[in-house]
Amino acid sequence: MERQEAIDILAEGRHGAISVPTMQSVFPWHEAGQGDMLNVDASQCMGSASTIGLGLALAQPSRKVMVLDGDGSLLMQLGSLVTVAAAKVNNFYHFVFANGLNQSTGNQPLPGQGMFDWVALATASGYKHALRIEDAEDLLEQLPSIWKLEGPVLIELSIAREEGPARWAGVPMAKQVASVREQLAAS
Amino acid sequence: MTNEQPIATGVPAEVIAGEIDTLGITHVVCVPDSFQRTLIARWQAGGGPHFVGVCTEDEGMGVNAGLYMGGQNPMMCIQNNGVFASINTLKAIALDAKVPTFIMVGQFQRDVNKTIEEQSSRAVRMLEPTLDSWGVPYWRIENPGDIGVLKIAYERAWADKGPAVVIIGAPTL
Repeated sequence: MERQEAIDILAEGRHGAISVPTMQSVFPWHEAGQGDMLNVDASQCMGSASTIGLGLALAQPSRKVMVLDGDGSLLMQLGSLVTVAAAKVNNFYHFVFANGLNQSTGNQPLPGQGMFDWVALATASGYKHALRIEDAEDLLEQLPSIWKLEGPVLIELSIAREEGPARWAGVPMAKQVASVREQLAAS
Repeated sequence: MTNEQPIATGVPAEVIAGEIDTLGITHVVCVPDSFQRTLIARWQAGGGPHFVGVCTEDEGMGVNAGLYMGGQNPMMCIQNNGVFASINTLKAIALDAKVPTFIMVGQFQRDVNKTIEEQSSRAVRMLEPTLDSWGVPYWRIENPGDIGVLKIAYERAWADKGPAVVIIGAPTL
């Protein structure tokens, strides 16, 4: 599926979840109007989306947390799969945009692309559920039932290669950190 | 026979844990460290802050930030090599994203009979210069009488909305 298709479906079906996008999902997430409400971009710290989301999930157990990760990003902190699973966060939903590329730096292929399996990695790490979704129609159909699963859940999204320059939202992370903390304190 | 006296002496884990309790810490995000082994065991036994074990110090910076945004009052517990390993997230999360990040750092492989400058371990010698180069404030606990620096560092992290480090110079007791 196209990244934008996945973003639009997740934005429409977000239902108030706290969101943590990273890298090339940040700009379209903002374009879809999701950048202001309970959102923090894992910017300038590639690989940290999963653990920022984990901290939020531990701190706010009554809220769902959705991490919009990248496959290249998650490889940078692959051990976080085990850390998340060990924390037994049942409100943690880990969407991995998997295109097999380090897109932000020019679409270089990932090390070992085609040799590893996200669903198997998540399951073996102790995630409660893990599934792969190949196309937008399936994501649209399955998203309501995904939210009903007990976390942590990893959803691998098969994303098509995109061309063109990397896009960045450019919102300072410090501003978002303060905003999320204020929004959650006020809610 | 030598009359060499230790320069740094350990602080009982109970003393440090008690001081941390007075700060209202809710979560300790930890990568194991041999110099804080007894303290970590104390926290893992329960009755204090929630203990969150992580695989790497980079992960710890992220978890600490998420807990902070979620309204909690976390801290980190790592070793000197972990500081070197997590400079990118220290930069992006603790410094640039302005997240209060109170960190206890054990001086793994420090010889307690020698000054920091005399240490053979590069990790021990380079910890403070590394923190200096990033503008991260730090304090040493070399003896039980230094326990008050925990509160000073914690308050500095919150005042600056950034990192502040307490260096544990001898194994906790």
